Amino acid sequence: MPGPVAASSWLPQDPLLALVFQAGLAIIACSLLMLLTVFALRMRLLARQRSERFYEARWKPLLAECVFGVPGRLPEVPRAMRYTFLKLWNYHHESLVGAARSNLEILAGRMHIEQVARDLMNSGNLRERLIGVVTLGHLGDRTHWHELRALVSDRSPMLSLAAARALLDIDAAATLAWLVTVMAAREDWPLARVVAMLSEVGPDRSTQPLIAATEAASRGEGGKREVVRLLRMMEVAHTERVAPLAGRIARESAEPEVIAAALRHAQDPRDLDAVRALARHDQWFVRLAALRVLGRIGETADRVLLVELLGDKHWWVRYHAARALITLPGARLDDLDKVRATLTDRFAADMLGEAIAEARS
Amino acid sequence: MSVLDRLAYGDWIVWAQCFFMLYFIGINAGYMMLNLLSLGSLKRYVEMHSLDDLPRSISGFEPPVSVLVPAYNEEATIAGSVRSMLQLNYPEYEVVVINDGSKDGTMAALKREFALLPFPEATWQRLQTRTVRCVYRSATHPTLRVIDKENGGKADALNAGINAARYPLYCGVDADSVLERDSLRRVIEPFLEDPRTIASGGTVRIANGCTVDSGFLTSVGLPRNPLALLQIVEYLRAFLFGRLGWTPLNAVLIISGAFGIFRKEVVVEAGGYRHDTVGEDMELVVRLHRLFRTRGTPYRIVFVPDPICWTEAPESLRVLKNQRVRWQRGLSESLTMNLGLLFHPRGGAAGWLAFPFMVMFEWLGPLIEVAGYAFMISAFMLGAVSAEAFWTFMLIAFGFGLILSVSSLLLEEISFHIYPRPGQIGVLLLVVILENFGYRQLNSLWRLWGLLLWMVRSKARWGEMTRKAGWQTGGGGGT
Repeated sequence: MPGPVAASSWLPQDPLLALVFQAGLAIIACSLLMLLTVFALRMRLLARQRSERFYEARWKPLLAECVFGVPGRLPEVPRAMRYTFLKLWNYHHESLVGAARSNLEILAGRMHIEQVARDLMNSGNLRERLIGVVTLGHLGDRTHWHELRALVSDRSPMLSLAAARALLDIDAAATLAWLVTVMAAREDWPLARVVAMLSEVGPDRSTQPLIAATEAASRGEGGKREVVRLLRMMEVAHTERVAPLAGRIARESAEPEVIAAALRHAQDPRDLDAVRALARHDQWFVRLAALRVLGRIGETADRVLLVELLGDKHWWVRYHAARALITLPGARLDDLDKVRATLTDRFAADMLGEAIAEARS
Repeated sequence: MSVLDRLAYGDWIVWAQCFFMLYFIGINAGYMMLNLLSLGSLKRYVEMHSLDDLPRSISGFEPPVSVLVPAYNEEATIAGSVRSMLQLNYPEYEVVVINDGSKDGTMAALKREFALLPFPEATWQRLQTRTVRCVYRSATHPTLRVIDKENGGKADALNAGINAARYPLYCGVDADSVLERDSLRRVIEPFLEDPRTIASGGTVRIANGCTVDSGFLTSVGLPRNPLALLQIVEYLRAFLFGRLGWTPLNAVLIISGAFGIFRKEVVVEAGGYRHDTVGEDMELVVRLHRLFRTRGTPYRIVFVPDPICWTEAPESLRVLKNQRVRWQRGLSESLTMNLGLLFHPRGGAAGWLAFPFMVMFEWLGPLIEVAGYAFMISAFMLGAVSAEAFWTFMLIAFGFGLILSVSSLLLEEISFHIYPRPGQIGVLLLVVILENFGYRQLNSLWRLWGLLLWMVRSKARWGEMTRKAGWQTGGGGGT
């Protein structure tokens, strides 16, 4: 049997083994190279962090000065530190309000930040594109309106959402009518983010476009899912202006998901009859939504219906029936104790018991 | 005679050598592929979340979450853990602690610290559990509830928690875990991004050596204990590419019980956690894959690479061995209970890639690895295998082990660089090399033992671990 290493060579003599052996050595060499890379990356990171700390120590006081006025001295931003500066500038912009924010924008104007932001927006790196888009939005300059509007159609939800937000920052009034329909259609945009954006715009500006888009969608121009999404987005709108439309949709729609979403906004006592009827709907989530409305605007006369629904087959319906009973006008806990004593359904009694205990605690 | 000639002559020794060598090459090539997939995912993830630290990134409209904390004999740490969970940075959530019939003072500690009062809750018993003795609400923390129930195991405790949960999403958290303040916000992201998401899990890191103050991690350090140090590299490997790599293929088969978030309705519909396995967390995820794939329902199970949950690693060989044995048994049970997913026509990447991968390399892996080492060493000592072949085998085994560990460290350095000091990286680089000399082999032995125990079907119970929790007292004890 041959020795492990031939005298003339350290490789195995068998060609197959030699190949595997060489592959093993190559893997170890790669590993060592990667080890060095890890070390080099760490050194680069430390150098970058040092540099960032150095510049941030100079920039932060200047940006903080914007609280009182536009600083006379402009920060010096090397090309390699553009991203870091923009991030810091945006951080301050989102943290400050009023005159301080305007001062930041004047400072940015003097530094030609808009040009930098545009360059980054058009770069190939998502991180840079995002900061570029966000900065253009905060600058509020309409020059790049069309580029940003085009980006709203980008496949990346992150980038397109950032572009939508930038457009709202620049001119919400001009954007909303169109953007609300995009928001309804783009299901890859997280609803929580969309609602947060609309909330930043405020109910005064968002209510009308939302109503218009929902009316159009409910007339058949949009699908069921779009209507539901629009109704969910209405959470940030003026409730009293949304309620009539929501009530109409709840009365007229045949889609349980749409009805349940519309009931979230119903608060007109004139809708009560329809709500009471919907409290007996086949779908449990519609019954639940109707009970929540009764919890808000129900009348003393609804007690019979609510007690009946305490025995519903679905737990959440029983839960909300019990809570609605507590909030009905003129409801007294002692009276509800008596009602509970008359209940023959143990689950209904337990549920009402929990609601009463909760109200008492 | 060359190896090829001996193969042609049907020399079984050479065939066995080739089999073991090919197995080692196959397993490591598979992991390298996962590594490459992870690299892409990680880069995308880091870029997409580059603006998360801007003030406006918090929306405040995230869905509410029930945080479920099963606890069994956690007297020493439960108050601190719950207190930290009550301070998470998330708009709307509740904390439900489930005391699973602890024999120590867990319940007394909870009553004392949080002013618990019995409350007549009408719980929806959708999942069968052991008897719930009492439900408590806190007089000082309105979002805290405690379920005191008879002992039934972790799965039973989680099922009781699901029954009590009031929100559509629930997050299972180990009672000894330390969370980042914005853990929930980060792990919920996949649910916001895609409504098809049914589960999402976060990265678990080792807390030994770190400093924890008031239930939150204040500084990251390395432990002095060599076993804990070795597990740091192991966790990096397991989480950064063992799980992240499967995410783009929607084939993540494990979400750690220490920190994972699930859509409640989906879990209830699937029957909740099974009581007859020690790997209830993995079993549930594999079962969800099986159910959704076989029904053809679109879904997503996602892994979030952010380091958001910290846990204490065992520092003694005995406890570590028990943990690994339990994990291997859990893996065995999870796979065999869901064999229907394997090569199912609608199994997709989960059934055709991840499941077979798990079977070949994680489940049967220890058996083949230990057999491989035993065969090569004994054959070499008996002169049946040449020194050339023996050392070539060892070189390949060591080389692949090294490259996998180094690549996980590289992924960490590219993404989160959690360990801030260069000295810490130096130590980890050393550990990456050293773990190949004994630790990995020992691990394989323990896992093989777990496999054997599973085969003889020994009884499942709570994973008992002696908690030191030195980091919870503020003394990091690390470097």
